[in-house]
Amino acid sequence: MKRLISNFKGSLLILPAIFIFSLTACSSDDDDNGNGDTKASVTIKFDHGWGPNHLPFNLNTALIHPATQEEITFTLLRYYVTNIELHHEDGTVWKEEDSYRIVTVEGNSSTQEITIPNVPNGEYSAVKFMIGVEEERNTSGAQEGALSPAENMFWDWSTGYIFFKAEGMSPAAPNGQFMYHIGGFEDPFNAIRSTTIAFGTQRLNVTSGSNTSINLKVNTARFWHGGISLADVFSIHMPNANAVTIADNWIGAYRFDELKN
Amino acid sequence: MILYRQLSPIIILSGMAFFLLSGCTKDVKEENTNIPLRIRQPAHFPKPVYTFDNNPPRRTVYELGKRMFFDPILSLDQQVSCGTCHAASAAFADPRGSAVSTGIFGRKGLRNTPALANLIWYPHFNQDGGINHIEVQPVAPINDSLEMGVGIANAVSILQNHPEYPELFARAFDSDSVTAARILWAFAQFMGSLVSDNAPIDAYYRENKPLPDKAIRGKSIFDEYCAGCHTGVLQSDFSFKNNGLNMGSHDIGRAEITGESQDEGRFRVPSLRNVAYTAPYMHHGQLNTLKDVIEAYSSSIADHPNLDPGLPVGGFGFSSQQKEDLYQFLLQLSDHSFVNQSF
Repeated sequence: MKRLISNFKGSLLILPAIFIFSLTACSSDDDDNGNGDTKASVTIKFDHGWGPNHLPFNLNTALIHPATQEEITFTLLRYYVTNIELHHEDGTVWKEEDSYRIVTVEGNSSTQEITIPNVPNGEYSAVKFMIGVEEERNTSGAQEGALSPAENMFWDWSTGYIFFKAEGMSPAAPNGQFMYHIGGFEDPFNAIRSTTIAFGTQRLNVTSGSNTSINLKVNTARFWHGGISLADVFSIHMPNANAVTIADNWIGAYRFDELKN
Repeated sequence: MILYRQLSPIIILSGMAFFLLSGCTKDVKEENTNIPLRIRQPAHFPKPVYTFDNNPPRRTVYELGKRMFFDPILSLDQQVSCGTCHAASAAFADPRGSAVSTGIFGRKGLRNTPALANLIWYPHFNQDGGINHIEVQPVAPINDSLEMGVGIANAVSILQNHPEYPELFARAFDSDSVTAARILWAFAQFMGSLVSDNAPIDAYYRENKPLPDKAIRGKSIFDEYCAGCHTGVLQSDFSFKNNGLNMGSHDIGRAEITGESQDEGRFRVPSLRNVAYTAPYMHHGQLNTLKDVIEAYSSSIADHPNLDPGLPVGGFGFSSQQKEDLYQFLLQLSDHSFVNQSF
């Protein structure tokens, strides 16, 4: 699909050229990016598993939490992955512009992926991303793309993005259900968290035309960590102290698995 | 963004056709979209909060926002538009005079419909101040199952599949692709254009034009007892107060946003501009007339842990002359030309 669009665009570049030729003074605003030589796309794969042993994770499947022993069935897991950076070993950083995506666990697959186009060629030793949306985008009105309020990751009654949602059922909850809608961009209930995931001795080699991927493991049992059980905390729908605790837990869910160069 | 890029060759093509016919003037998209709109910023007002920096006022965007504002297709039962509860004749409060809003399927809302005017000077929206930006305010009533209830995602597809709206979006935004942000930008232009600056109090502030005698006496009472919160030309300091007039309502107001017990029963200080048109009064429509409001502040302020310290338990104890003078002053806040606009 992407290739189709770029071919389509490429052939259309002829048109403005003709245009400029025939009418000298009038300029076209079409960009002349010939970027194919120094950039490539990188995929990040999020492989969702259950607990430190990465047992199979699926929606609508009863799971027993390894620490609390509570039975937990997810019906929804959806989160923002934003402000992606790739780090070079020497400490220099490439930041993706306008970097906002939503990852949703859907259907029977527990692995979701996002694609970062136009990563400059180079050797990278770590990836950094935010689970959340920075303050500025929470306070500056209507946003496009993944930040559209139509994505239903937005509190309309108390402005702010819902950084992640986990919903489901559990006999441990008084009403049999749990709902974590976690957000909050202001102190003392700032739930924005970032994580830097180093690739150990491996390096991500981005070269022209390469299609590399960063595979991460996501421990979905991690919401209940550090003594928090679902029976204690089963409903969060606004920024508060529990939301901050769950955000602290959840950012620890992401860890390095492998690179595919 | 991708859609825009896909469309741009088409725009260039139509631009080319235009060029070949008429030489170097503007291309078609500019002709359609670049007619600017001037939104009044009165000299005696402070600097606005919302400056349209990312949403430059244009006639086509405003017209789109106006049409959506009065269009009931943005409600689940296709019967309720923004304008159902916010009508010009009631200074954009509820023309039916209901205590609380009436939404889809006749459902009663939770609070009294606020008047709309001078919204680009507002630092926050809704009576609990939960909404931090004019552009995202309309998401709340569109989503709320007691108000319009259609949902913003659904609104996008309704407009995209409508026989006329995609063309209106194309004129406004260079693309017929409907997005939530474009809907909201258009609403912000219409809502932001509702500037009320032509009441007698404006002539008083702007040109020193004297108020009637009774109202002058009323103003000095107002300045002493009311203007601490109903401040300045906007008639609000936009703080959150408990005024001791909750009168049995269990609505916790600002505390719903902050979770703080000290905010229970606090609500935004409303602007009093056009207040004579916006009955009934208070967050729950508890008081039917302006005279009831004056009487309540005079004799019915109830104690509450969060009662504003400027308000005496029991009330101010105004004399009947003071009440009449205050009433006459409040009438000077009415902008008849604003209320008599037709849309």
